[in-house]
Amino acid sequence: MRELSRAVAAPPRVLGVSAISPMAGLERRAIGMVDVLAQSVGATAPTAAATTAPALIAGQTGGSVLGCLVLAWVLAGLVNFTLGQFTRRMRAPGSLYTFTTRGLGTWAGFASAAAQLAGYAFLCMYCLVVAAVAVLPLVPGGSSGGRVATCLGVAVLGLACFLVLRRGIRLSARITLIVELVAVAGLLVAMSAVLAQAGWSGLAAPLASAWPAPHTLVAGIALGTTAFVGFESAAALGREARRPFRTIPRAMRWTVIGVGVAYVFSAYTQQIGAKAFDVPLGGNELVVPQLAGHTGIPGVAYVLEAALATSFLACAIASFTALSRVVFTLGREGLLPRAVGSADPLRGTPSGALVAVVPGVVGLPIVMMALGSSPASLMLPLISVSAVGFLGSYLLAAVAAPVFLHRIGELSRRTLVIPTLTALVLAAIVLTYIIVVARDDRTAFVIVLLVAAAATAAGFVAHRLRPHAISEMGLFDETTLGDLLGAADPVAGVR
Amino acid sequence: MTSGRPDLTGRQPQAIHSAFAVLEEVARAGPGVSAREISASLGMPRATVYRLLNLLVEDEYLVRLPDLSGFALGAKVGRLVGAHRQDAERETGAILADLRSRVRGGVHLASLKGHRVVVLNVDPDFPLSDPDRLASEPGCSALGRLILAEGESRPGHQPIPYAVQVDQLVPGFGCLAAAVRDADGTLVAGLALALPAGRLRDPSALWAMVAGDVARLAAVLGRVSG
Repeated sequence: MRELSRAVAAPPRVLGVSAISPMAGLERRAIGMVDVLAQSVGATAPTAAATTAPALIAGQTGGSVLGCLVLAWVLAGLVNFTLGQFTRRMRAPGSLYTFTTRGLGTWAGFASAAAQLAGYAFLCMYCLVVAAVAVLPLVPGGSSGGRVATCLGVAVLGLACFLVLRRGIRLSARITLIVELVAVAGLLVAMSAVLAQAGWSGLAAPLASAWPAPHTLVAGIALGTTAFVGFESAAALGREARRPFRTIPRAMRWTVIGVGVAYVFSAYTQQIGAKAFDVPLGGNELVVPQLAGHTGIPGVAYVLEAALATSFLACAIASFTALSRVVFTLGREGLLPRAVGSADPLRGTPSGALVAVVPGVVGLPIVMMALGSSPASLMLPLISVSAVGFLGSYLLAAVAAPVFLHRIGELSRRTLVIPTLTALVLAAIVLTYIIVVARDDRTAFVIVLLVAAAATAAGFVAHRLRPHAISEMGLFDETTLGDLLGAADPVAGVR
Repeated sequence: MTSGRPDLTGRQPQAIHSAFAVLEEVARAGPGVSAREISASLGMPRATVYRLLNLLVEDEYLVRLPDLSGFALGAKVGRLVGAHRQDAERETGAILADLRSRVRGGVHLASLKGHRVVVLNVDPDFPLSDPDRLASEPGCSALGRLILAEGESRPGHQPIPYAVQVDQLVPGFGCLAAAVRDADGTLVAGLALALPAGRLRDPSALWAMVAGDVARLAAVLGRVSG
């Protein structure tokens, strides 16, 4: 303890540390574990995914839903381990984009930024459209399916999200949490009702379903993995969380564990219910409401619909939160106009980024509906593009992890093997998923190609015209003088 | 699981020991030391060092420097040791207050570490007559004489318990400085009693009167300087 006491008595001077973080302006150490967890859970939207994922997987594989979901769960665990290498070392509102840039450089960083922006933005659009469609029947005089009404609904919900987000991270995280808790409770009630009605016979049947052929299995895992996307979004709160190196990895880990349990339980129940009540599962979007209807309990279907609508709203808020932090980082670096890197001086929110992203996210689905798409036909392309974005950004971060660790001299055998394995599996998954999308969903495939082309063009333009911004890429909330020993004593700090 | 639990508790003291070793090494090597360097100088397995470093960063005892590979001590280390120090200051304050209520004269405490007089606690009722000369002319003050005598003492001899000066700073007044030593016998501080010359005629009796307080001060100061 002699050296430690000596250092405390006369704190050493530390070179290369500035007084202000590049991410200054965003609130610092404002939210605790529960709110960070709310961000990850909210963006994952477990109620919505637990409801829809089993039918999607069954439609793709023709059975073995549980197997695909469990393997997807394992993959999500591997991705979590890989991202944990970054979140325990860096507080980065730009999250995966910043991680990738730190590991693989600016071109890969560009690809990651595009993938992540697409992931969060299209998830947000999807949530707003679905929530608008779900909310409309509950409004007097409204009916679902109308394009004009849905456009109005998207605009109103988008504005509501903006107002909540502008008030500050504390309020938006709390609202996300409460909304998601209500939604999960609603789903659990409905699922328990199904299990109770289905009887004890056939409880083991879902466990015995056969494994599909390898390529179908990979497609099933890919769909299963999309149910977990969003869990990483806590990483965007690096600056805003208290004790971020502890709370963020923890929130991500518990989100993966928790939503995995919900998915497996939901898939299991749906398979049993589908068999007991003779309801088709594969590709049936309405399987859960139909199952709930069979329970004969009044109000279950209503509870479920309300739960779904609120879950989508929570997901929209959480996606906006993560999206705005990435855009904020790009603004601070100068890749986007500096104005989007401005923060509200009183509330500590990335106000410039919010003003920039909300109109775009609200506007695109409205434009698409104005061009003739029906709300229902819009949903699948939006979520598919988002999933490609998320999976792509995970893949890049997994490749970047060992390189980054090697660069800072902390690569070990475990941190080489697991991220490399994760990257290989993700590469197969991304490829399969893109093939599935190209085959089943032309609109989504075209959007993916457009986003990729736009990102490539932007990359060339930026490298040519904005060399300074390129050199700034990868900014994060770094250690400042105030974090160092001796900071409490200004005289000691100067030494 | 049954075998995992005792194993974990069995290893925990070792882990705490290692964590302190890592903190100590960061303090020794100075800011910017890397995980690899720490592992090399402590002879600890690299994976263990990475894990400990990440835990210490999680708890904010250490911080990563902006290059992400270098480490430095975090502000929390200061708070940890600072709290300890505040306790010590409170205790020395209580001992001095007790002495001041018994001794009709000035009672001061000075650090003598590194053979330099640094006044820590001045009697508010009896301000120092000439604080500048105290530092510049060691021979004229009892505290300074204590340092000089310590420098001249030969190893093996009984360490001197106190030093006295009379009429050096203010005519008709003097001072007795009692040596406060840590557990190794190193001179760490001096307790100065500023009194009229008449009361300094029997310094050993005066010293005996405060010897108990000096021992208590030594215990408190020895704890923080350790």
